[in-house]
This record gives sequence, C-alpha cells and structure tokens, in this order.
Amino acid sequence: MSLTQAPVLDSTHLILRGPELRDFDSLAAFFADPDRAWGFGGAETRPDAWRWWACNIGHWHIHGYGYFTIEDKATGAPAGICGIWNPEGWPEPELGWVVFEGFEGRGIAHEAALRARRYAYEDLGFTTLTSNILPGNTRSVALAERLGAVFEREYDNVSMGRDMLYRHPGPDAGTDTALGRDDDGSVEAYA
Amino acid sequence: MSNYPDIPVIETRRLVLRGPEAGDYPDFKATFASYRSRFMGGPLNAYEAWMLYAAEIGHWAVRGFGMWMIHDKLTDETYGMAGGWFPAKWPEREIAWIIWPDKAGRGYALEATHAVRRRFYERQGWEGAVSYIDPKNLDSIRLAERLGCVKDREAATIDGSDAVYRHPSPSAAASGQLRDGIELEIAHYCDPMFKPKGMPID
Repeated sequence: MSLTQAPVLDSTHLILRGPELRDFDSLAAFFADPDRAWGFGGAETRPDAWRWWACNIGHWHIHGYGYFTIEDKATGAPAGICGIWNPEGWPEPELGWVVFEGFEGRGIAHEAALRARRYAYEDLGFTTLTSNILPGNTRSVALAERLGAVFEREYDNVSMGRDMLYRHPGPDAGTDTALGRDDDGSVEAYA
Repeated sequence: MSNYPDIPVIETRRLVLRGPEAGDYPDFKATFASYRSRFMGGPLNAYEAWMLYAAEIGHWAVRGFGMWMIHDKLTDETYGMAGGWFPAKWPEREIAWIIWPDKAGRGYALEATHAVRRRFYERQGWEGAVSYIDPKNLDSIRLAERLGCVKDREAATIDGSDAVYRHPSPSAAASGQLRDGIELEIAHYCDPMFKPKGMPID
C-alpha cells in the first residue's frame, strides 16, 4: 500500500515509487551501517530510522515530493532511495540518493538520479537542483560529476555540519543528460 | 497538498480536531522553539521542528492514527495537538497532547484528549493506552490524573527518564463517574462566566 501520493516512475532497470511499509527493514539496515550511512546522516538507531522514514512520508505530504524507493525491476526488491529533499533549513531542494547493500556497482544510483532529476524538471517544474555532499564522500562526488553537477560552494548544513553544494545542469542545459533521457532510450536512440 | 492520509475529523463542544496540515506548521514550530516544549524533546531548531512535524504526518500514514491538530470550532485558530503516538521504541500506544503556550488554562487539552481517547476506545478498538510524562511536567501529570490515569510503576518506559501514566480501561473510561466528571469540568470551561483561579491548567 502506498503511504503517499508519489507517482510511479519507470526507467530501464528500475521503478521509482513512493515509500511502502515493506521498505522499512531495508532502510533501517542501511541506517544501522555506519560505513554506508555516514554520508547521509540522520538516524543511528532503528527508532531513529523509523522517525526519519515517517518524516519522509510527511515530506511527501507537505511538499508533494520526497524520497522515492528505488525498486529493482528484476527482483522487485528495494535497492535504495532517491528523490528530492527539502526540509526547513536546507539551502535549496536537493537531489539525493542512497543505494542499499548488495546493489552497488550496477549504476543504480546513476539511473535513479537521472530519472528523479527529469521528474523534478519536467513534472515538478524545478528550474535548478543541488546535491549536498559531505567532504570526503568521494563516491557521491564522482556520481554528482557524472551527472554533470559542478561544485559551487561549501556551507554549514543545519544537520550535517560542513557540507559541499553541487549544482546540477538545469532543465534548459540543452543536453539529454540534463533530463536523463539517455537512460530510457527514447532520445538517445536517435541522438 | 491534500489532507491525505484520510484523517477523521472530531468535533467537540468548542473544538474541531483535524489532521495536521502544512499550513498549521508555524504554530507548531513556535511552540517547539519555546520553553513549553522542554518536556517533549525541545526546544528544537527550525530544522528539527520541521522534521518532527513531517513525522507527525507520516505517523498517520504508517500507523493509521496519529496526532490531530486542535482548532477552535468558530475561528479555526489552532490551540495545540492531541492524539495517539506510537513511533518505534515506544513500548505501548500513547495518548499525547501539547497546547501552545499562550492557549493554556482553558481546558482545551482536557476536551481534546477526552475526545480522542473516546474515539480510540470506541471506534478503533484500543483496549488501553498510556501517557509517557516527564516527572517534572506537573501540568501534564495533573491532566493525566484528571483523565483518570494512574501512575504505573511496573510498566516499561521509553528511556527510563519518563513516568508511565496508564489510562483507565475502555469500560472504566465509559463509566458515569469518570466520564461525567470530565464532562462537567469541560462544561465549566465552556461557561463564559467560569473564571478559574490559581495556576492555569491545560
């Protein structure tokens, strides 16, 4: 059962959908693993993870967007979360991503981030997007750069402390990459 | 955004209780930034208050119950929140309340909490409930006792720093002695000639 009014987004290998009850254990396992979760922050214990999860659902209701659950089409399993995050105190709406254990190395975050970015630009009408990345999170920096984002500035995040802000190419950047069309084959096939 | 999930509306003599909506957030934020919130994990900064408010809404979707926003029936002004709260880590389902600091002393918490407990018991099948209260939160302890709660020293606490007040069972809460007493007190507050003296109570 969907807990939000999130749309279901389709891409080549993935479905992005709203959070559901069955996703919670995967999310709690992610938060419980400090090696994976330190760059995301927010929840060290299972109760903290529950609180964050409820918060994400409320985020959808307040803003009309939030973190999708990334579902692996092949297995139906939750493979991570990806979406737009904008609590009070955030510098700007942020495109964020997390890949759960066992799903790395398959380009899932890249594909999901492209799809969520296209959704933000085409469906939500966003004109720009950022990603906030903690210094030292080299994997996320590499992905941000692969997505065409560029480092803009450092700032103090209300929750995470010293943080780096990357800015994504806008909807009018003139490339298919900006709209993520190179993942669903619809444009790239003719490019 | 619509008021999804579908949250029932409860009407009482002076109040209407509706699901928390984005537009109600500023009053919530002001209260959680204030000293009033010291027994509820506050004071919180703006980010923390927003995250908690979003979780209040998410709680409804996940649990099927949650905290209602208390509005004045005539003016729609908000006075606080009351309802059920059962996040992970909570040993039992809690009946909780918070009244904005400048709205205390008019019996709104009593009126709202009495109504939500009745709904949980009579419409949603709850067989009991507790309230977790900081032992220094005398206003809330007095409200719990006016609602017929009894301190339960054997019950599991959230983290050892809170006292557990156990609500009367559904049959005890429905008994004339308790219910009539609560409703008489609410009626006093509804009476414009009633001017309570001494410390304000919620």
